[in-house]
Amino acid sequence: MGKKKRGHPDVEELLSRPWCYYCERDFEDLKLLISHQKAKHFKCDRCGKRLNTAGGLSVHMNQVHKENLTTVENALPNRQGLDIEIFGMEGVPEDIIQQHNQRIIQNFYTAQAERQAATGNPPRGLSGGQGPAKKLKYETPEELKKRLADHRAKVAAQKAAGVSGVPVAAAPADGQSPAQGASPFPPPQPGYPYPVPGAVPPYPAAQTYPPTTAAFPPGAAPPAGATAPFPLPARPPSGPAAAAGAPPYFYNGGAGGAPPPGYPGGGAPSTVDELVANAARQGAGGDDIDQMIRLAEAGIKPGAGRNAADEAGAGEKRKKGSRMVYGDTEVSPEEKMAMLPRYRWVEGAAA
Amino acid sequence: MAPAAQFEAAQPPKDAISSLVFSPFASRRMLVSSWDKNVYLYEVADGAEEANLVGTFTHRAPVMDVCFGADDNEAFLAGMDHQVNRLNLTTGEQTVMSTHGAPVRCVVYSSEHSLLISASWDSTLHVHSTRNPSQKPLSIPLPGKPHALAASPTKLVVAMTARLVHIYDLPTLTSTLSSPNPQQPPQPWQQRESSLKFLTRAVACMPNDAGYSTSSIEGRVAVEWFEDSAESQARKYAFKCHRQAAPEEEGGGDVVYPVNALAFHPVYGTFASGGGDGTVALWDAEAKRRMRQYQKFPESVAALAFSSDGRFLAIGVSPGFETGMEDYSGEGRTKVFVRELGETEAKGKGAK
Repeated sequence: MGKKKRGHPDVEELLSRPWCYYCERDFEDLKLLISHQKAKHFKCDRCGKRLNTAGGLSVHMNQVHKENLTTVENALPNRQGLDIEIFGMEGVPEDIIQQHNQRIIQNFYTAQAERQAATGNPPRGLSGGQGPAKKLKYETPEELKKRLADHRAKVAAQKAAGVSGVPVAAAPADGQSPAQGASPFPPPQPGYPYPVPGAVPPYPAAQTYPPTTAAFPPGAAPPAGATAPFPLPARPPSGPAAAAGAPPYFYNGGAGGAPPPGYPGGGAPSTVDELVANAARQGAGGDDIDQMIRLAEAGIKPGAGRNAADEAGAGEKRKKGSRMVYGDTEVSPEEKMAMLPRYRWVEGAAA
Repeated sequence: MAPAAQFEAAQPPKDAISSLVFSPFASRRMLVSSWDKNVYLYEVADGAEEANLVGTFTHRAPVMDVCFGADDNEAFLAGMDHQVNRLNLTTGEQTVMSTHGAPVRCVVYSSEHSLLISASWDSTLHVHSTRNPSQKPLSIPLPGKPHALAASPTKLVVAMTARLVHIYDLPTLTSTLSSPNPQQPPQPWQQRESSLKFLTRAVACMPNDAGYSTSSIEGRVAVEWFEDSAESQARKYAFKCHRQAAPEEEGGGDVVYPVNALAFHPVYGTFASGGGDGTVALWDAEAKRRMRQYQKFPESVAALAFSSDGRFLAIGVSPGFETGMEDYSGEGRTKVFVRELGETEAKGKGAK
């Protein structure tokens, strides 16, 4: 996908992205936004016709289906109203725009601060002008060690739980090597979704990665910096339109490799905390402890990935045998209700 | 065209609805039977968009089914207490018509033949002639527990467990009853296996006496014809409905709801289905098309009925009983909606 791959878009770039009033998602360009709105918010649930606006859908429902549209589908709870006519970015109230921009800015600086805290790098030249990091968080060696210890515990727990079938133990063993200086190329970060299937290599086993940065030739890695989480990582993709309309949100459902663990679309449900933790870990680029942590992760990932894939497979199976709300093929719901004390009739009790 | 109006009946039943019927006569009276042991009589107001409660009749046990009798003031009810009662809607007086050996699931009245038929979980049908109320009811053993019962002008369709469907000929039942000594219970006119693979939930007969439709717990509706010719039988079909795509996070696929209610439009012969998903759809049986699907109701659709002139569609909603429920109560979540249909809203386009 010949997209520009500059790592962290600067705040202006983010602010200039068109976004959807109904669900606050942002898009590469206006065309995508409009097609998103037609598919997600202005689509008739009776006949599938896509209208251009909520008003149009309302008229359609009224005339074709003799029904009244009351809410916009898939909208955030406070944005379901039909009173505002939205088309693309047109019609969005000024105060909502302000609110959105503020959110974007805040997310941007939060993410930037996190990145800086994690990497210890100064702000990039591009963004340096507008966003001097006010609180640069450096991790002390103690903190790093603690994180390592935590991580080891986690790995051990996972191993104990049988999640990992590969020799993860190798990675912690290498972990004693001291930090060496930042690598100029952050290695590929398996947890982070890429739209390019080839960019997510299926990690065969931990030991194929020698604990040196050389294992990650810069050319094979996605361009540096492109890997940091976009400031809105927590929104799960919803539906095929999401996949088609917004490549940055990666949604290939396990094709071309295991779905990245920790990603909400994957099989394993992940908490926000986990996401944040993952993001923090991914954001950490450069020294050997992180490198080692990533290696350990890489060791785990194929196992975890397989699990996720298995779960996805199970999902496929379930798809065929869909879930019945009432499944008893011999006894009717009424008979079951009749047996409840609430309704049961006992001869003689009331006679 | 003015958008069709929909309104809610005041004072809905206090617990789940078991059945809902419109008067087959010119009036706009509507009976609702409920698990709260009451039968409610509503009347859709003339001109005004409201349905008012006219009377409440309390039975000693939950009422499983109700139907109108020979006129607007007579009703019959099927009770959990094994009884079939005649209910005088003017005085509220109840008289026991017959007693089954188990709760009575369904009751229908055929005004053409003055027959009252009740189906009970004791696996029998009781047939009464209301012309001769003193006569003992004719008891017909069934091969399974009945779950749904419907009468057309000349036929009676009984849907039972194990996907059995028996069709009785009403004139035959009448003649059996009137014979001086009914020794042998009449045989069904036809015995069929349901076209649906799962437990039958509802049956409704076409007003033109040509056939019937059945629905199952597995989100499916079948349409069949009475005529036993290969041609007619080849016309039967079934289709999926009342399903919802499950969210991707839950593994995708469909959530399949039971189709709890079926009702044919008395004029156009189209029919409505109501499901556990809380939706009501209108179908054109001839054209095999869905004509309308109404916006979701707050709870599962328990019962449906068209008024005799086809102008109104009454929809009874209560929480659906789902697999694994330990407890159930329809309290506070049971409602009766009445939808005034537009001129051609329920009119089919005919076979294509």
